[in-house]
Amino acid sequence: MSDERRFLIGPGPHVRAADSTARIMWTVNATLAPAALWGAYVFGARALLVLFAAVLGAAAAEALATIAFGEGTRGTRGGGRPAPWARLTDGSAVCTGLLLAFTLPPGLPPWMAAAGGAFGILFGKAIFGGLGYNLFNPALVGRAFMLATFPQAMTLSWTAPRAGLGRALDAATTATPLAALREHGVAEALRLAAGTGGGSPWTSLVFGFRPGSIGEVSVVLIALGAAVLLWRRILTPTIPLAVFAGVAATTAFSGAPLLHLLSGGLWIGAFYMATDYVTSPSTRRGQVVFGLVIGALTGIIRLYGGYPEGICYAILLANALVPALNVWFRPRRVALAGAPS
Amino acid sequence: MAHGNLLTFGRGGIHPDTHKERTAGRPIEPLTPPPSEVWLPLVQHLGDPASPIVAKGDRVVRGQKIAEGVGTGVPIHATITGKVKPLDKRPHPTLVSCPAIIIAGSGEDEELAFPEDPDWRALDRAESLARIKEAGVVGLGGAAFPTWRKLDLPPTLSIDTFILNGAECEPYLTSDYRTMLAHPREVVEGALAMARLVGARRLAIGLESDKADAAPPLKAALEEALAASDARGLHGDVQLCEVRYPQGAERQLVTALTGRVVPPRGLPSAVKVVVQNVATALAVHDALRYRKPLLDRVITVTGPGVGTPKNVLAPIGTLLAQLVAFCGGVSDDATRIIAGGPMMGRALPRLDLPVIKGMNGILLLTGRAPFMDGYEACVQCGRCLDACPLGLEPDQTSIRIEANRSLETEPFGALDCYECGACTYVCPSGRPLLQFMQIAKSSLRRARETKVTP
Repeated sequence: MSDERRFLIGPGPHVRAADSTARIMWTVNATLAPAALWGAYVFGARALLVLFAAVLGAAAAEALATIAFGEGTRGTRGGGRPAPWARLTDGSAVCTGLLLAFTLPPGLPPWMAAAGGAFGILFGKAIFGGLGYNLFNPALVGRAFMLATFPQAMTLSWTAPRAGLGRALDAATTATPLAALREHGVAEALRLAAGTGGGSPWTSLVFGFRPGSIGEVSVVLIALGAAVLLWRRILTPTIPLAVFAGVAATTAFSGAPLLHLLSGGLWIGAFYMATDYVTSPSTRRGQVVFGLVIGALTGIIRLYGGYPEGICYAILLANALVPALNVWFRPRRVALAGAPS
Repeated sequence: MAHGNLLTFGRGGIHPDTHKERTAGRPIEPLTPPPSEVWLPLVQHLGDPASPIVAKGDRVVRGQKIAEGVGTGVPIHATITGKVKPLDKRPHPTLVSCPAIIIAGSGEDEELAFPEDPDWRALDRAESLARIKEAGVVGLGGAAFPTWRKLDLPPTLSIDTFILNGAECEPYLTSDYRTMLAHPREVVEGALAMARLVGARRLAIGLESDKADAAPPLKAALEEALAASDARGLHGDVQLCEVRYPQGAERQLVTALTGRVVPPRGLPSAVKVVVQNVATALAVHDALRYRKPLLDRVITVTGPGVGTPKNVLAPIGTLLAQLVAFCGGVSDDATRIIAGGPMMGRALPRLDLPVIKGMNGILLLTGRAPFMDGYEACVQCGRCLDACPLGLEPDQTSIRIEANRSLETEPFGALDCYECGACTYVCPSGRPLLQFMQIAKSSLRRARETKVTP
C-alpha cells in the first residue's frame, strides 16, 4: 500500500487562537467608532474632517515607513519588498490616527491633524523599528509634537458642542471645563460642562454635550466601546481602574474630584491609550503600578502643572517606566511557590 | 486547587475548542480487515532499541515476541500472523527512519492464547515488573517511556499517591475516553496493580469534566475492585477536573489532584506521586492478568480532513494509509497529518508510516498551517505570560533569541519549559514562542555541557 501524497510539516501547536494583532486592532478601531461619530455629531463636520485628516496622515506615514524600512513585513518574508500598504492592514496606523484625533480640539485646521498623525507614526513608532518596538504611545507622541508646534491652535480651537439633541450648531469658540476649572474655579467649570443647552452639568459630562476634544466628550460611548473590549478580553480592567484610582487619590481634596474624573481625556486615555499593549507593562502587578503612576501624574499636572489637561504627558512619562516595570514585576514561577508536602 | 466544584491547576492554561464531538460518541471499532502488512520499528519507546530474534522468512504468530527488550528498552511482538520480510529501514513517525521488522500477513486470524493467571493479583513486585516489561508496555499517553522503568523506583523514594490520568486535555482526542467507557474494570484493575507496585495509599483518577459520564463506571469499578481484593490500606477516588489545557500534563494534574507542585525539571515522584495514563493501565492489566503483550492500541482518527472520524483499535505497525482508509479516507483538501493532538502532536509528511505504541491520535487538518503566515514582532500583550502554566517568560526569551542572545535567556525559564505550546497558541503576532523556548533550552544546555570546570 503506497500513498504518494505529501503533507505539510511544521512546528506545533497546529492550532492557534483566533485573535491576531490585526483582528485585535480592527476591533479596537470599531469600538472607537461610536465616540468618533458622536464627536462629528456634536461638533459638526469640521470635527469629522479633523478625524479623517489625522487618520490619513498616520496612514500615509505608515506607507512611507513601509517603503523605507518595510523589509521583513509579515507575509513578504523572503519575497522582496512589501507593498506600501502592507502594514496598513494590521489596523495599528488607523488606530493611532483615530486616537490622536480623539484628543484634538474640533476647530483645529485639518492639516495640522495630518501632520500630527504623520509625526506620531514616524517618530513615535517607525524609527523605533515599527509596531512592537516603540517605547511611547505613537498617538500621544503626535499630540505632544502638536502641542509644542501649534500651541495656539491646540489650546484655543475649542468649539461649542451642539446643545442638546437637534439644536443648530453654534460655531463660536469656547473654553473647556478643565481650563475653566483651572482659571475660574468649579462654578465656571460646571457652567461650561453643562454646555449651551443649560441642562445638568453632570448629565452633559456623562453623555457628551460639553466642550472638549473630539473623541473625549462622551464618557458613555467610550465606556461602551471599552465594555466590548473587556468582554472580548482584549482589555483587562487593571490599568483603567488604577488610573482612575490615581486621579481620585490626587484630586480628592481639590474640591472637584468628580469633575476631574469625568472631564478631559481621562476615559479615552485610561481605556484606550494607557492600555496599548506595546507601551504598557506585561504583568498585572506592573500594570497596577503603571496605572497608578498615570493617574497620580494626571492629577498632579492638572492641579499644579502648566496645562489644564495632564493625561497625555502622564501616559508618555509612564511609558518611559515600562521597561523598568517589566523587569521589576515579572511573573511568579509556579515551581518556586508553595513547597510540596 | 479548585474551579467551582472542579479541580484544576493554579496559573495559566488555555481553553481551545475541544472538537471532541466528532468522535466522543463513537465506540471503539476494531480495524477491519486486519492489515495485510505491518512495520514494527525496533524503537517505539524511550530507551535502547529492541533486538530482533526472528529472521527473514520465519513464520510468526500474532502475540509472539519478535524482538528482545535490551537495556532500558522493551520487547516487540508480532501484531499479525504471517511471514517476516527482510529487516529494513522504514520511515518512522518521530525518528524519520528506523530499522523495522516487516511482517507480511498470511490472512490467518491465528493468535497465541493468553490464558488468565488466576493468582495474578498476588504477584510479587519482581514478577509484576517482569510481566509489564515482557509485554512491551510503554506510556501510551504519547511519551512512550517504558512503564516498567517508571514503576521501578529506587527504594529511597516513597510514593503515597498514584494518579490515573484520564484528563485527555488535547483537543480532538477521545481514545482514552472511549477506553475508559469500554473497559472501566480493566483500567481500574491495572491502575490498582500499579498503585500497589509503587506503594501508594491513594489511587486518584482524574478526568476532565467533559468526560464526566466515564466517572460513574470508573467509580463502580473502583469500589468493586477494592472490595474484591484485600485493600491493604489503599483507597481510591475519581475526580473531575476543569476542561483546561494542559490539565493532562503530569505536573498540572498532580497539582489539581493533590495540591502539590512538582519541582522544576523534577518528576512527580519528587512529591510522592506517580502518574500513568488510562490506556497504559489497560495494557498493564492485560500484561499482569494474561501475560498478554501490547499488540493493538486505540487511536482517534479525526479532523476535518478525514471522511468518517472514528476511534479505531488498530494493530501496532498498521500503516496510516490503511487506518485512514478505514475512516473514509483523506479528503482532497487535507493539508496536514498530525500524530497526537493538535497542541503537542507532531506533523507527519506522509501516510506510509506505521502506527507506533505511543500514537493516540491521527488528526487530519485542512487549510493553511499557522507557520505559513510568518510572524510579527512581539507587541508585549502579555498573553503568553498569562497562558504559561509554569510562570515562564516566552516573550522575553523570544526577543533575546531573535537578537542572537540565547545565553541571556536563562532567567526566563526555558530550561523548565515542558513544551505544552499554550504560549504559541495565544500569541496574536503568530510568534513560534515554543520553538524560541526550544532554541533557548538547547543553547543553554550546550553552554552548560561545554563549560570547563576548573
